Amino acid sequence: MNNSIEFDVKPDWDEIEKVRNESADFLQSHELSDDTIHSLSMIISELIENGLKYGDFKTEGNKVVVIINVATNMITVEVLNPVDESAYEHLSKLDKTIQWIRGYQDPFEAYIERIKEVSKKPLHDMESGIGLVRIAYEGNALLDFFVAENNMLNVSVVSNLEKGDRVSS
Amino acid sequence: MIDREPIKFAAHLIQGEEKISIEAKYASKFSLLIRFLNGHKADPGSEFSKLVFSKNGEEIKIGPCQYITEPKKNGYQGRIVFSQDVYDLNSLFFEDKLEKLQAEFFNLPLILAHKDDIEKCFREYTANLNYDLNVYKNLFDCLDARYADEPEVIKQHVQDAIIETEGRKFMTFLDEKLEEFEDIIINYSKKDHERHGYYLRKQLWTFIMCSPFMTRTNLKPRGYSGDSVMMKMIYDNKYEGNSTFGKLMHKHPSEHPAAQAVRNRRDIITKMLSKVKSTDMKTSSKKIKVLSVACGPAFEIQDVLTTAEDCSRFHFTLLDQDATALSEAASQLTQLEKKLGTKIEVEFLNESVRTMLTTPKLDKMWGQFDYIYSMGLFDYLTTPVAKAVIEKLYQTLNIGGKMAIGNFHISNPSRFYMEYWLDWVLYYRTEHEFIDLLKNVPSAGTKVLFEDTGSQMFLQVRKYDN
Ligand SMILES: Nc1ncnc2c1ncn2[C@@H]1O[C@H](COP(=O)(O)OP(=O)(O)OP(=O)(O)O)[C@@H](O)[C@H]1O
Ligand SMILES: [Mg+2]
Repeated sequence: MNNSIEFDVKPDWDEIEKVRNESADFLQSHELSDDTIHSLSMIISELIENGLKYGDFKTEGNKVVVIINVATNMITVEVLNPVDESAYEHLSKLDKTIQWIRGYQDPFEAYIERIKEVSKKPLHDMESGIGLVRIAYEGNALLDFFVAENNMLNVSVVSNLEKGDRVSS
Repeated sequence: MIDREPIKFAAHLIQGEEKISIEAKYASKFSLLIRFLNGHKADPGSEFSKLVFSKNGEEIKIGPCQYITEPKKNGYQGRIVFSQDVYDLNSLFFEDKLEKLQAEFFNLPLILAHKDDIEKCFREYTANLNYDLNVYKNLFDCLDARYADEPEVIKQHVQDAIIETEGRKFMTFLDEKLEEFEDIIINYSKKDHERHGYYLRKQLWTFIMCSPFMTRTNLKPRGYSGDSVMMKMIYDNKYEGNSTFGKLMHKHPSEHPAAQAVRNRRDIITKMLSKVKSTDMKTSSKKIKVLSVACGPAFEIQDVLTTAEDCSRFHFTLLDQDATALSEAASQLTQLEKKLGTKIEVEFLNESVRTMLTTPKLDKMWGQFDYIYSMGLFDYLTTPVAKAVIEKLYQTLNIGGKMAIGNFHISNPSRFYMEYWLDWVLYYRTEHEFIDLLKNVPSAGTKVLFEDTGSQMFLQVRKYDN
C-alpha cells in the first residue's frame, strides 16, 4: 500500500471538496478511524483554502499541491502554493501566528484567545483568522511552514497517531 | 501611533419614542462628554435605550446608557456611561472595533468545561501541591517580613542563610513532587498532556507568577520562548525574584537538566570554534567564516573572542528573527571591541529561518561558510521544515566546512516540567530522527553527540566533496 499521495489542485474553490473526498478515501485505506479522517479533512480544507486565498495564481499553470504521508505513528500533510511579493506581509503574519499558537502547550488557549478576539466585532470586514487555530486545536496537530527557493510556500501539519486513531486498535 | 485627537461627533439618544439630538465627545475609555442640542433638558440619572451615531458611514447603535451630570466642562453638560453592555470606546474610536467589556466572559463555559476530563489522581495531586505550596509560601513570606527592616547587607545575609537551609530543602521537596507527577502522567496522550498542563497552570498560577523564570516562559512577551532575556536568566542561574519564595521558584527550573544543557552547549560551541581556529583552519590565511542561525544575543562569541588575535581570525554572520536580540548582540560586540581594542567582523541578518530560504542575501552566501551552528532552533522545527532548513544550511557550507546543530533529545528529563509548569514545548527527536534530516544529502558526514546532562544532542556534520 502506498504511504504517500499527492494531489494537484487547480485554483478553483470547487476543487477543495474533490480533494477532500479523495484524500478521505486514501486515509480510509490506511484504516484510520472516522474521527481521525474527519479532523484531517478539516485540516486539508483549511490549508487548501489558505493556499487559494493567499497564493499567486497569475501565472498559467500555477496550482496548489497537497501531499499526505501516513507513517507508523505519524501523519504529515503538506500544502504548497506559489507566492509572490504581495504575500510577504501574509508570510510574516503566518510566521507570527504559527509561533504564537505553538507557544501554548495546550492549543485550547490559542483557540479561546482567538475566539475572544473574533467576538470583538471589527467594524470593517476582516478575515475571521480562525483557520490555523482550528487546525491546532480541533485537529490536534503541529503546524509549521517554510518558503522554498522557488517561492513555493510549504505549510505543513504533523499529527501523532495514538491509541484509537486507527480502526483496528 | 494611535491618534488621540479629541473626537467630536453628532449623535442621538433614544428615550422611548423620542430621538434627542446631542453633540458628543470622546472623554475616556468608558465615557463620552455630551451636550444636549435644541435646548433639551435631562435629569441626572436619565436612562436612554440607545446611543446612535454614524462612524465612517456606518450606523452604530449602542446602549442602554445613563446620563450623569458634571460641573460644566468646556460647555459639555455631563457624561454618558453604559448601564449594561459596557463598550470600550478606545477600541471603537482608535481601533475600529466594537468591543464589549463583558466579551471576556464569552468563553466562560468552554473554559469551565475544560476541567471535565481531568483525571482524579491528577486533581488530587494538584490540590495537595497547591496546599503545600501555600504553606511554604506563607512560611517564607513570614520570615521575609521579620527581617524586612534590617539594613540591606544584613537582609541579604539573612536571606542567603534561609535559602541555604530551608530553601534548599524546599527545592528538594519540589524535586520529589516532580517525580511523583511524572509517575502520574507517564501514560498520557498528547491531548491529555495539553489538558492537564493547562489545568495545572491554572491551579498554580499565583506560584508560577512569583518566579521571574516561570513568568517569562509562560507569558512569552516577545512572542516566543527562549528569548534573550530568558537566555540570560539561564546563563546567570542566580536566585532572582522579589521574595525568598520567588527566588527559590526561579532557581529551581534554572538548575534543572535542560537549563544546565543550555549552559553546557555554550561551552561546547566555544570549544568547537576554538578548535576550528587551532586545527582545521590553523594554516589558512583566510578568515574563518562562521554563521550562527537563530543566534539570539550570541553571548558565546564573547567566550570565543578573548584576544585581538582571535578577532582577526573570525568573520561572523548572525541571523535571527528578533531584531532586539540582534541589537543586543551588536552592543555586546561593540563593548568587546572596546575592551580588546580591535574590530570584530560581523554581519547581521534579521530574517526568520522559515522565510530565509528565499532571501537573495542568503543566496550570495552559498558555499561560503567554514562553520555553521544553530542551537535553540531545531527544537521548534517539525520534520518537513527542519529538513528544508538543514539542507539549505548544508549548501551554504564550503567543502570541508562543518556544522553543529542542537536539538533536545526525546528523553530530556525536564520535558514535562517544562511543558506543564513553564508552558514551554519543544519538538523532540531521537538520534535516528535527527540524523535522518540529512538523509537526502549523501555527501554529508554526520554523527550525534550528547552534552553532559544527556538531554541535548548535537548533530555534527562535515561537508565532503561529492
Ligand atoms: N497559504 C498562505 N499563504 C500566505 N499567508 C497565509 C497562508 N495561510 C495563512 N496565511 C496567513 O496567516 C493568517 C492566518 O491564517 P488563518 O487560516 O488562521 O486565518 P484566515 O485565513 O485569515 O481566516 P479563516 O481561515 O478563518 O477564514 C492569514 O490571515 C494569512 O495572513
Ligand atoms: Mg484560513
